[in-house]
Amino acid sequence: MTRFQRYLLNKAFWFFLAFFIALIFNFLLPRLMPGNPVDAIVGQMATGGGLSGEAQQRIYAAYIAEFGLDQPITSQFVTYVSRLAQGDLGISFARSPARVQQLIGQALPWTIALQLPAIIIGWTLGNILGALAAYKKGWLDRGLFPTSMFISSMPYYCLSIILLYVLAVFWPIFPAGGGYSYALTPALNWTFFSSVMEHYWLPFLSLVVIFVGGQAIGMRAMSIYELDADYVRFSRSLGVDDNRIIAYIFRNAMLPQVTGLALAIGSLVSGALITEIVFGYPGIGSLLFSSIRQNDYPVIQGVTLLIMIAVLTANFLVDITYGFIDPRIRARASGD
Amino acid sequence: MIVKNVKAYYVSGSGPDVKAVDNVSLSILEGEIFGIVGESGCGKSTLASVMSLTAGRTLKVKDGEIILNGQSLPLTDRSRVPKEWHGTMVALLPQRAMNSLNPTARVRDLVIDVMHAHHPEIRPADAVERARERLEQLGLPVRVLESYPHQLSGGMRQRVIAVISTLLNPHVLIADEPTSALDVSSQRQLIVLLQQLLEHQFISRIVYITHDLPMLSNFADRIAVMYAGKIAEIGPTVEIVGRPKHPYTQALIGSTLDLDPRLRGSQVKGIPGAPPDLRYPPGGCRFHPRCPHVMNICSIEEPPAIGTEERFAACWWVKDQVDKLSVEGAAS
Repeated sequence: MTRFQRYLLNKAFWFFLAFFIALIFNFLLPRLMPGNPVDAIVGQMATGGGLSGEAQQRIYAAYIAEFGLDQPITSQFVTYVSRLAQGDLGISFARSPARVQQLIGQALPWTIALQLPAIIIGWTLGNILGALAAYKKGWLDRGLFPTSMFISSMPYYCLSIILLYVLAVFWPIFPAGGGYSYALTPALNWTFFSSVMEHYWLPFLSLVVIFVGGQAIGMRAMSIYELDADYVRFSRSLGVDDNRIIAYIFRNAMLPQVTGLALAIGSLVSGALITEIVFGYPGIGSLLFSSIRQNDYPVIQGVTLLIMIAVLTANFLVDITYGFIDPRIRARASGD
Repeated sequence: MIVKNVKAYYVSGSGPDVKAVDNVSLSILEGEIFGIVGESGCGKSTLASVMSLTAGRTLKVKDGEIILNGQSLPLTDRSRVPKEWHGTMVALLPQRAMNSLNPTARVRDLVIDVMHAHHPEIRPADAVERARERLEQLGLPVRVLESYPHQLSGGMRQRVIAVISTLLNPHVLIADEPTSALDVSSQRQLIVLLQQLLEHQFISRIVYITHDLPMLSNFADRIAVMYAGKIAEIGPTVEIVGRPKHPYTQALIGSTLDLDPRLRGSQVKGIPGAPPDLRYPPGGCRFHPRCPHVMNICSIEEPPAIGTEERFAACWWVKDQVDKLSVEGAAS
């Protein structure tokens, strides 16, 4: 077994350990919330009227049995894990008979379509701006740095609300909420697509702006540090071309930024929860929010499981790719 | 190589400039190792950065010129340094070998970049081949080319840097305290390597800057003693160590340990006082507040260089001694 394989194996072990522990919490935490999902469902039925106490009782018992809530918590856990192993996330309590996979499957594309471009564009733009500010100094730096600082220290829902007010209410340029016009039903045609694009800009902008700011600050600081490094002075003293030196600096300053990118992609699912709620965007964030309000354990668990897997996988991949980018980490990890 | 009238000041936002190097002129002969010695803050590293054309942004070179190999280069405008001066005319052997190599590149990558910068037509394989030959000639392991910096020991890293610095056969190598972070055996190996580089005529002269006078006296041909931004004394190593003229040189030698058994039991003397603040250097001779032989004129007028260009001391007291001798000589 080579050192690198041992390194991989070691990382994989920690990955699965973390996964299993997180799985236990994932199962327990929603059940620690006050209230009971069946109460909510039966209560809703009762408000319609016409249900006798006895009937309510029977419906209640039937639901409890159907959801398996009468079982002891350990056997509920075993059932959960064994179903999970078959790829079954269960049935939504609040929206039964919809399956959890199905609900997530509907919401996830919206979230990915909103966030992935925002993260990638924000990351690229932020890094280029940060490196430029560090290298060029002068007015670019003096303007960019405080602006980035201001933007990135603002909570992103604040910016969302400000943008919403300014660009949708004060000057109604963009629609105020939703993923598409309520008058339309999802279909593959131009009207629907243009409606989607119209609704896309505002949440997208609010994410990109914050992301650019944060990345630019990080990249600027790293680049300034690298610019002053001894190897830059030494390479310059030997007349090495400036663009080669910039390539050295960029690569070395990028290392922490790569982690940032991977983690941002990993936390993509959970990242813009509040953005989605603010803009009423039909993604994972909105789904999670409504499930929490309805004590919908299976959906909550399904979504948090997805978040968990994404974050763990991103961390795992960062660990591995870091070894490829930085020889020092590869050496330390393999005991070279 | 002639270095003329170098004046290099650090410009601070407020307050007066730090006059780190003030009117320093040197001439360095072909084939020699020329040592510059002085305590911390005397301006020796500043002088090294000016001579190696690597001065930082905060350092303003007010005056100065280098004449090397029949070409002259004014030092005042760093943006107009022709590219071929970097690495082929003047090369730097830096202080901190630890960080002077890009941590994420193999040694061969730097070799390729250095060679390519001066010979755009060279193929990468040929650049590496040249470095390989050079390493073999100098008795260093060829495998270092494939290594990352962190895989090399501190001493090896510094030797590799010395080889890369001299890859383009520069006319002068400016070694700025290259051994300050090394243990004594690595120090020795580096010095031997530098001597080999001279013998093979890969470089034609070395300027070696250090605070370690005893070590320097083992291999330097001539030594310049710097104090507070100025040259106090210059001379062949044996003269500087054996018959120092300037009171500062005498004090410096008096304050170093000597393993000579005849000197066992004798006291090592320190130099009273501290080096001056170079924002407000003392008038006249900059050493006068600490000098045991101080005279009235020392605080008023700058001391003249007494002796020849190759062997002089800038000191009023030395002038006094010389004058007395010549008067006595005339009287007898």
